[in-house]
Amino acid sequence: MSTAQLDRAAPAVAPAPGGVLHRVRRLRHTSPGRLQLILAVLLTLGALTGLVAGITAAAARTGTDDLGERAQPLLVEAETIYSALADADTTAAQAFLAGGLEPAELTRRYEADLHRATTALTSAARRTAPGGPAAEAISALSADIPRYAALVASARANNRQGLPVGASYLSTASRLSRESLQPQAQALFRSAQREVDAGYSDARSSWWTALLVVLLLTLLVTLLLAQRHLSRATRRTFNLPLLAATGVTLLLALTTAAVLAGQRARLADARTDGSRPVAMLAEARILALRERGDEALTLAARAGEGAQEKDFDETSRQLTGLLADIRRQSGAATSAAVTAATEGHRDYVAAHDEVRALDNSGRYDDAVELAIGEPTTRTFTVLTDGLGRGLEDRKADFTREIDDAGRGLGSLTVLGPLLALVLCVLAAAGIRARLEEYR
Amino acid sequence: MRIRAAAVAAVLTVLAAAGCSGDSTPLARPAGPSAEAPAPAGPATAPDTSCRPRASLRPPATLPEPGKMPAGSYMRTIQDRGRLVLGTGQDLLLFSSRNPFTGRIEGFDVDMGRQIADAIFGDPDKIQIKVIPYDKRISSAHDGSVDLVANTLTANCARWKDVDFSTIYYDAAKRVLVSSTSKARGMGDLGGRKVCAARGSTSYDGIVSAASKPVPVARDTFGDCLVAFQQNEVDAISTDDAILAGLAAQDPFVEVVGEPLSQEPYAMAVSKEHPEFTRFVNAVLARNRANGTWKRTYERWLPDLGAAPKPPAAEYRD
Repeated sequence: MSTAQLDRAAPAVAPAPGGVLHRVRRLRHTSPGRLQLILAVLLTLGALTGLVAGITAAAARTGTDDLGERAQPLLVEAETIYSALADADTTAAQAFLAGGLEPAELTRRYEADLHRATTALTSAARRTAPGGPAAEAISALSADIPRYAALVASARANNRQGLPVGASYLSTASRLSRESLQPQAQALFRSAQREVDAGYSDARSSWWTALLVVLLLTLLVTLLLAQRHLSRATRRTFNLPLLAATGVTLLLALTTAAVLAGQRARLADARTDGSRPVAMLAEARILALRERGDEALTLAARAGEGAQEKDFDETSRQLTGLLADIRRQSGAATSAAVTAATEGHRDYVAAHDEVRALDNSGRYDDAVELAIGEPTTRTFTVLTDGLGRGLEDRKADFTREIDDAGRGLGSLTVLGPLLALVLCVLAAAGIRARLEEYR
Repeated sequence: MRIRAAAVAAVLTVLAAAGCSGDSTPLARPAGPSAEAPAPAGPATAPDTSCRPRASLRPPATLPEPGKMPAGSYMRTIQDRGRLVLGTGQDLLLFSSRNPFTGRIEGFDVDMGRQIADAIFGDPDKIQIKVIPYDKRISSAHDGSVDLVANTLTANCARWKDVDFSTIYYDAAKRVLVSSTSKARGMGDLGGRKVCAARGSTSYDGIVSAASKPVPVARDTFGDCLVAFQQNEVDAISTDDAILAGLAAQDPFVEVVGEPLSQEPYAMAVSKEHPEFTRFVNAVLARNRANGTWKRTYERWLPDLGAAPKPPAAEYRD
């Protein structure tokens, strides 16, 4: 029905040449003509409002879903790839430091790391559009990870036979990891971060929302003006169908406002309590693993304090600052985990200083023993576990908020156009009744 | 320090002909004779014949007792510190490499250092091994970050300007390592092929300037060269036979080919600040040549190279 009306109304809104414009102008001079014009405007506005309400809700829903199901998981996967590769590199270096047959524990850990990295890479590839820096990073990683694994396997095979070239294979692998794999993983992480930021703005679908607000206001004002005109022209104070249409419009406006405001509030929460701390915690874990890698590589190089040790100091400073930031910004549960991580980090740095002191005073074997021994490993695990707990806590929070943000958007997609249809019918009924009187 | 006799100069010309395996530009300074661009014909590094690289400082007649180093001497500083700091590598099997089973660095070069530690402390274990990059061997001795460098380091005149060398403890010669399936019989057959050497070594310069025009490839260490070789990234490795022997021992599918290209006399490097330490090292070397320690060390690490030759004779410049 409303579409049929729309067809008739089209000339009234579309700027048409001479004849049509002339007819419209002529309509203004007769009472039924004016009523027809008002009806056309109301129906057009009603239809547009319904359409835009549906689009806004659908866009916000798509954006929210994309954020929750693609961008944010991509960020988490990028972090997984990065930290798994960094940990694999550190583990391989520690196995080398241990000397003799590599400890089974470290072999298992290295293999679990590699498995984690490749699994996350496969699933990240599914979430990435072809072309663009993320896809480039993924294809580079897919090519280099098998090469890296092959180099480490050669290192182990040579090590088993007691050939020192195994150490050279390991350092070649480590160089590949540090110079190619980890930078690519970092590029993927940064690109995922940008996608999350873009995801938030898509999910808010601000342009559509603004258009909807304008349309709703215009519709309300037009309805009120139409009723004023009718009450003056017909001496009836109320036109019930139009009054009902006004009510429906208000209902639509309130529903839309409630759903969208709710979604935005949830999005804001998801960002401040979810995405942002997740990114910071992920960064912290990467920094922590970098420290551990620097320590192992410094010892493996056996050349005293060099570039890696400088990198350790720099990384350690960054991590201390970052941990303080996270703790300041997060709630109780995460705060507890991060406090544990901060203490773990402090203890670990103390142990590291002792390792350096031992190595610098010529007690290399003791330094290695302390660095890869049980107590230091446990201290470092306190740090990474604390960060991991915080990360899980924040990820859960993000998922909860995003699920809540998506709620209501689906029903608005249907409800918006439906209410608009109802108000069009009511407006048509209200004005047709008056038009009948001129027949 | 200047040329003494025509005969010596003639020998030296041969010795320095193809450069050495160490860092070609030990310290930052305007291009010295060894860093010059290659001459149109002949070896790249114009032989520096301004000195007798084999000739070191004369040792005292008697060695002090271990643990009783004379006051004021550098040996006393080392003794008071409690350990000798030796600069070496960890990837040259037979000379200084990390034993994968024990994690310890060991080899002929390391034993040379351990014998010095033994002479100072009466305990060869009082030694700290610091791994130094191949292109930092001279600067590490020069700036005192290590007491002693023993790392297949060739004594030559360019390096004598920056550090003092001990007497010669090993005579090496440059050759080429290729795959056992390769038809190449020397550097002359490797034109256009990739040949690897450690970055900053004069072996690398030797590849750059080889008449057959191979493609030089630089890696951080010779161990990395072996990795590149096994990954088919390079066709050959060129350096001293002693180093090549260590590489060949790790891969049954290679062979060392070519006539010896040059003589590479290995010596330990010491800072010029402590000539008394160089004399002390020479005294230890002289004693160990005489009492058979040198021969036992050779037999321990280099049995694959055949029976132990006579130790290189000591030469002194004063």
